[in-house]
Amino acid sequence: MSKDEIVLDETIHQPTRLRIMTMLVSQEGGGRLAYGFIQQTLELTGGNLTTHLRRLEDAGFLETSKVFENSKPRTWISATESGRRAYGGYLDNLRKALDWPPPT
Amino acid sequence: MQSGQKEAVGLAAGESWEAIHQTLERSHRSLYLAGTASILLLWGVLTAVYFIVTFAMGELAPEFVAEYPWYHGPVWAVLGPLGMIGSSIIGHRAGERQAGGAVARNAGIRVFLYWLAVAATAALLPGVAGIWNSEQADHIPYTVLGVIFLGWVLFGILFRPALAVVGAALAVAVLVPYYLAGDLSGLISGLAVLVVCVLGAAWIRRSGRL
Repeated sequence: MSKDEIVLDETIHQPTRLRIMTMLVSQEGGGRLAYGFIQQTLELTGGNLTTHLRRLEDAGFLETSKVFENSKPRTWISATESGRRAYGGYLDNLRKALDWPPPT
Repeated sequence: MQSGQKEAVGLAAGESWEAIHQTLERSHRSLYLAGTASILLLWGVLTAVYFIVTFAMGELAPEFVAEYPWYHGPVWAVLGPLGMIGSSIIGHRAGERQAGGAVARNAGIRVFLYWLAVAATAALLPGVAGIWNSEQADHIPYTVLGVIFLGWVLFGILFRPALAVVGAALAVAVLVPYYLAGDLSGLISGLAVLVVCVLGAAWIRRSGRL
């Protein structure tokens, strides 16, 4: 295998989307995160976050649910199983790219 | 692959790795800080109430205070549980607004255990320091509060520097009047703590991420 063959998933390999996926996948117990929490933690504008979430959702990596809690609208985001697998694969490939050439 | 491209891929991979670590750290920190400004405000009010109540007792019932130097204890026996229950509710609600299920619960438990350890140290230290007696009972609240403020400073160093500044300001608000203001120290400390907590909470809220 050559370094050229290490392919990093282009949907995830973008700074903002990588951060979003890291937040979602790293939650213990596969928990969900509030839209506002992601926005605040990553210091993003609403429009910017929504654009990246849509891209990840289109790829099937996350799902959003809009609910009313105490009469207030709230959007929850969670990683799908497919998103977790894709992120895991991304990390494996990232490690390979960082460790290149592999130890003999 | 051209050498220039190789460098670009290597750099991007390194940056990605760094971004992952930064995000993990920031995400955990944000969860641990849920509700902190409101909790700070709550304890500021309770501490101010404590100082003002005990100052009033000293002014209005000096004989009682002289006869029962442990009168601070029952005041905290009421205020302490109020603060702990209030903090737990505020922290739990704030955490639930950020993350669902195990995520918020685990962060909340860790923060609770941190403050439980600080409170236990604050309660035990006067005994270890040998001031757990009638003659020196007046020093106990200041020792306890000193440890609690140190708890804020350490929490701030770990998760948010602004909280360390607030913790240090609280220590100044209590200890400077204690050494310099004589009989009025309780009243001045109470008001100073309230001012520091209100300003601190506003500062933390305005600067975001809570």
